Amino acid sequence: MNVVTILLLFTALLLTRVSGLRTAVYIILVQSFMTALACAAVGIETGEGHMYVAACLTAIIKVWLIPYALLNIVDKLQNVREDHPILSVNYSAVGACIAIVLSYALIDQALPGAGSRDALASAITMTLIGLLLIMTRRQALMQIIGLITMENGIYLVGLSVTKGLPLIIELGIFFDVLVAVVVLVILTYRLKLSGMSTDTSMLKKLKG
Amino acid sequence: MGELLCLALLVPILTGLLSMFQTTTFGMKLINIIGSGLTSGTLVGIIYKIIVAGAVQYKMLYVDQLSAVLLIVVAVLTFTSSLFSVSYMEKELAHGHITFKMLRRYYGLLNLFFFTMISVVVVENLGLMWVAVEATTLASALLVAFYFNHSALEAAWKYVMVCTVGICLALLGTIFLYYAQVNAAGPHFQALSWLALKESSPRFDPAIVKLSFIFILIGYGTKAGLAPMHTWLPDAHSQAPSPVSGLLSGALLSCAIYGIVRNLIIVQAVVNQEFLQYLLIGFGMFSIVIALPFVLVQHDVKRLLAYSSVEHMGIIMLGFGVGTSAGVYGALLHIINHGIAKSALFYMAGIITQKYQTRQIARIRGLISITPLLGSMFIITILAITGTPPFGIFISKFMIVGAVFASGRVMLGACMLLLLAGIFAGMLYYCLGMTFGSKPKHPVTPLTIGKPAMLAMMVSVVLIVITGVYIPAWLNEILYQASSIVVGGS
Repeated sequence: MNVVTILLLFTALLLTRVSGLRTAVYIILVQSFMTALACAAVGIETGEGHMYVAACLTAIIKVWLIPYALLNIVDKLQNVREDHPILSVNYSAVGACIAIVLSYALIDQALPGAGSRDALASAITMTLIGLLLIMTRRQALMQIIGLITMENGIYLVGLSVTKGLPLIIELGIFFDVLVAVVVLVILTYRLKLSGMSTDTSMLKKLKG
Repeated sequence: MGELLCLALLVPILTGLLSMFQTTTFGMKLINIIGSGLTSGTLVGIIYKIIVAGAVQYKMLYVDQLSAVLLIVVAVLTFTSSLFSVSYMEKELAHGHITFKMLRRYYGLLNLFFFTMISVVVVENLGLMWVAVEATTLASALLVAFYFNHSALEAAWKYVMVCTVGICLALLGTIFLYYAQVNAAGPHFQALSWLALKESSPRFDPAIVKLSFIFILIGYGTKAGLAPMHTWLPDAHSQAPSPVSGLLSGALLSCAIYGIVRNLIIVQAVVNQEFLQYLLIGFGMFSIVIALPFVLVQHDVKRLLAYSSVEHMGIIMLGFGVGTSAGVYGALLHIINHGIAKSALFYMAGIITQKYQTRQIARIRGLISITPLLGSMFIITILAITGTPPFGIFISKFMIVGAVFASGRVMLGACMLLLLAGIFAGMLYYCLGMTFGSKPKHPVTPLTIGKPAMLAMMVSVVLIVITGVYIPAWLNEILYQASSIVVGGS
């Protein structure tokens, strides 16, 4: 479990530094795969069958379907890169470090003794890094990737504090995540289709 | 009863599916009027059962008087928005703004949206409620982006991003609540079941529950349009087709408030009351403060109404924040009144924008001389929404303000009254100009208002006039019971 969480943290940190969209999608694929592994690890630990189901679902939805949809859209957006994020990659990396410190501080303050301290801290860090990506990236696709990172982080929080949620709720969450990404991909595609840039900082016509 | 609940969830799905396969506009209209009539009828049936028999649990579904309050809003709005959609979309089709294929998509998504909102209100489990609230965002996102032009895409992008991030935080909060339950309840318990939580919540760890409620409040508060997380709201409300704007404002925001209240009931058993009151009153008051400047300098009629929604959500939050039964009663009544009045206003704004081909307030003039009936209904509803007697909203606002004063927060009450007066002045200034100003020089599009649309608006206006002078005994009973569920008396 600890090896997996360290790798997960690594993927999240890596995301703050990439500017190629395709690379980012591959990283998110690896990250989701690690999440599925973590889920299976909890299954082995607790011996609960439904964790395996959740792991399989994570694999199908987050490792296969979502990256497939994202790669599809990356193909359509030729030569689009996250070249000038609102916060440069160096500062983003600093931000990620601050996130690590913050999450340790947060769990020691608010949730002492909940599950594994390191696993929980890296889960919270992932959530914060996801949020950071959403706020500081211009490209629509990078924001989607931030959202998935955040989602993975929260899922990991669930795994580390309560050994996952009841299956029916998890099914619902998986379904929602899938649909959310599909909706966002449709919107990105439409932005591209209507001859506009997928740079979301251009989206500031509506004001007041 | 179980059958009724399942039926209420099934009918919108079936209607949506059938709409997807229609080939004529007439068939589409017929299916949707019948479908929404059936849905609303079923919901009314459920409300009736709740009045007669009280709370009912059926497998994963649970309804009590608190759900009934929301079911009233959803039932009325499902019916009126479908009726209004029929005429509105017909006009859009005739003007060439949309194609028939888009119409199919519209009705499919609209019914899906009904389904998700009904599920929010009838599910028993807080985890599933989270799933349903997120589903409402997704169903309505493509409705907001319906025209797929630049502004609509921008609005939809902000809507999905802001609300999904917000709702993710609510999930984190729900996970923490679950953690508190796991710690307190031992090996055998129903995970995140609202009834089980309510029963065992006094044994929870207050620190964790407090943390979880902060996340939940921010999460669902984003969805409810509470400031400062309201940034998606005016964009989404102004860009969506008008029937959808009405639904978003009247029903969806209320459903998000419902999510907060369900969690609040659990949380207040362990966390100290004062902390919760500060939190709710803080968000509520801030929403009213934020809404004021945007109402005062507004150019867009639908954005004007959207900011008024932010204000009203703030007022409702204040009502819950005061926490006395009078405040909660007022807040619940306000949910009903605001839902009906605001949706009616968005419908009217829809017709007005179709007539004048603009949303610019400055270019909309002399409404009452062009269509006297619509003009007078518009001015009545505007007077109602700003809280003028003798309409329903005056009564619920009065109760909330009264409760604020009664709880000893005199300064807060005084500030609130001042802000409300400011918003009243702003709304009335713009709306009187639109209604009475001199007739526009450029000719407006000749447009007859379709009968279904007229019926939808009439029903809403009649309802808000009636609730101003008379609250029927059954409604009083539901509101009273619901407020005692929230306050924790029963």
